[in-house]
Amino acid sequence: MRAIWTIAKREIVSFFVSPLAYVVLTTWLLFQGAVFWVMSFWFSQQDLGSGSSGANPLSHYFGGTTLFYIPIMVYTPLLTMRLLAEEHRQGTIEPLLTAPVSDAAVVIGKYVAAMVFWTTLWVPTLMYVWLTSRYGDIDGWKIAATYLGIFGLGAYYMALGLLMSALTRSQITAAVLTFIALGAFFILGLLSFLVTDDSMRSVFDYMSLWTHMSTFANGIVDSRYLTYELSLAALGVFLSIRALEARRYES
Amino acid sequence: MITVEGLTKRYGLRTAVDGISFSVGKGEIVGFLGPNGAGKSTTLRMLTGFLAPSAGGIKIDGIDMLEKPIEARRLIGYMPEACPLYPEMRVVEYLRFRAELKGVASRDIARRVDAALGQASVSEVATRIIGQLSKGTRQRVGLADALVADPPLLVLDEPTAGLDPNQIRQVRDLIKGFAKTKTVLLSTHILPEVEATCERVVIIHRGRVVQEGAPSELSAAPSHERRFALRSRASQAALEAALGAINGVRGFDAKGVVDGVTRLVVRIADDSDDLPERVFAAVAKAGLTLRELTEAKGASLEDVFSQLTHTDAARPAVASDDEDDDEDDDDDEDAKGGADE
Repeated sequence: MRAIWTIAKREIVSFFVSPLAYVVLTTWLLFQGAVFWVMSFWFSQQDLGSGSSGANPLSHYFGGTTLFYIPIMVYTPLLTMRLLAEEHRQGTIEPLLTAPVSDAAVVIGKYVAAMVFWTTLWVPTLMYVWLTSRYGDIDGWKIAATYLGIFGLGAYYMALGLLMSALTRSQITAAVLTFIALGAFFILGLLSFLVTDDSMRSVFDYMSLWTHMSTFANGIVDSRYLTYELSLAALGVFLSIRALEARRYES
Repeated sequence: MITVEGLTKRYGLRTAVDGISFSVGKGEIVGFLGPNGAGKSTTLRMLTGFLAPSAGGIKIDGIDMLEKPIEARRLIGYMPEACPLYPEMRVVEYLRFRAELKGVASRDIARRVDAALGQASVSEVATRIIGQLSKGTRQRVGLADALVADPPLLVLDEPTAGLDPNQIRQVRDLIKGFAKTKTVLLSTHILPEVEATCERVVIIHRGRVVQEGAPSELSAAPSHERRFALRSRASQAALEAALGAINGVRGFDAKGVVDGVTRLVVRIADDSDDLPERVFAAVAKAGLTLRELTEAKGASLEDVFSQLTHTDAARPAVASDDEDDDEDDDDDEDAKGGADE
């Protein structure tokens, strides 16, 4: 347990002293600010009472449009690409793996760090919640459900990014692989809009992040979706541990 | 402290380490010697649990590295080749991180980090960022890392690579200072290093142990020839003619002529105590004069090393597997030939 935290702590500090962290955070906030402005502006043009009662800028902002998913798919690789690939490239993986810690502790430490990065992306968005609350009523539980959804999404995305970073020596390759994998899963989910067969549609629907996020953003905590995301996260972490172990047997 | 049995590492068809066995006793300082690409680093990486062997067993103080890797690694302070470090961290931060990772108790961390900084003489750069340090200083930070948890066994892969002569001496003194209190296994391809610090040498070549023993034993073993270096204003031909009169002359090695002074080495197989006088007398008898006459010490470790591994020198690094095997056999014959002479 101590080793996990030691590794996570070092990773977090290293990320936040790198220029990458500030480029990522700055551009992320600029983009999110623009998106939130677009949502608010659009809603301000609507007649009061004409829309459905559930729709509001926040529920749209959190997962209602592709403007939510595209930046996540771009920024996830930037957060996770360094995790293990950088250790391999720098060779620091050697002192790390010859220290008396298990491979699992190394991988879980990295994963904890990635979840901290993910959280830092989203904490500033509480500002939009606060802004909205000043001009209208917001439902605290709905917001909590939304952030729970974002956490579940992050758990899964970070694990996928971690796995790609464990599989390669180059950050760029890790980033590209992560982006492709996230894109593929996202498109698979979108198939639910295209297939006509009911049972197939429910399968794709279950995989669709869009459905997940809009469910959570509307205040519904659906444990099926959390189960899906958390089991994929666990699988990603498990495979990363195996990938790291496989490096010892490299031949 | 270390017992290695039939250790083998294959990369596809290439065998990097081929059935190495050796052991290192408690408190010993052992040098692991071999030309570049001999399999030194691969062996050390298996010893420290970074790589899993294809075959064979490793025991560190009786603990099996394959069965209980974490317990075994706890006993080792390892400094990898080229000493990879996190460039963005400060030296003291890095050592604190390593101490924590190696399970040093929180209350001891500050003390242990200070001690390691002092031992590796990097205290004055403690607050510098690692990425800005010179290669030699980084190397010593790596050494401090190996020492930080105060392990009973140190495994150092080329600990003096990239250091200046003063720093090399410091590191050697430090390692010698561990004699009896710690066990040290260090690898190097620099011979004086081994002669200066190690009690025992394991020479490996092409993934196999080709020679093992104390540096002095190895040096003495292969040759009964004595070598005399001469300098004279006489011509080389005249000197050779004069020296030819001595019994047991095996040959001459010309070392060239500088400013009209001929340099020549004569090799003579003769154990008698008055041999230097007879060399001098032979030259004088021919009416020639000498500027200098020195007896070279018996075959140096360098000679042993080059005899055992000479085939490696002028060969491209990538050779096909078949060739490798043939040449390995040649090497073994050479090694025996050297010992018989």
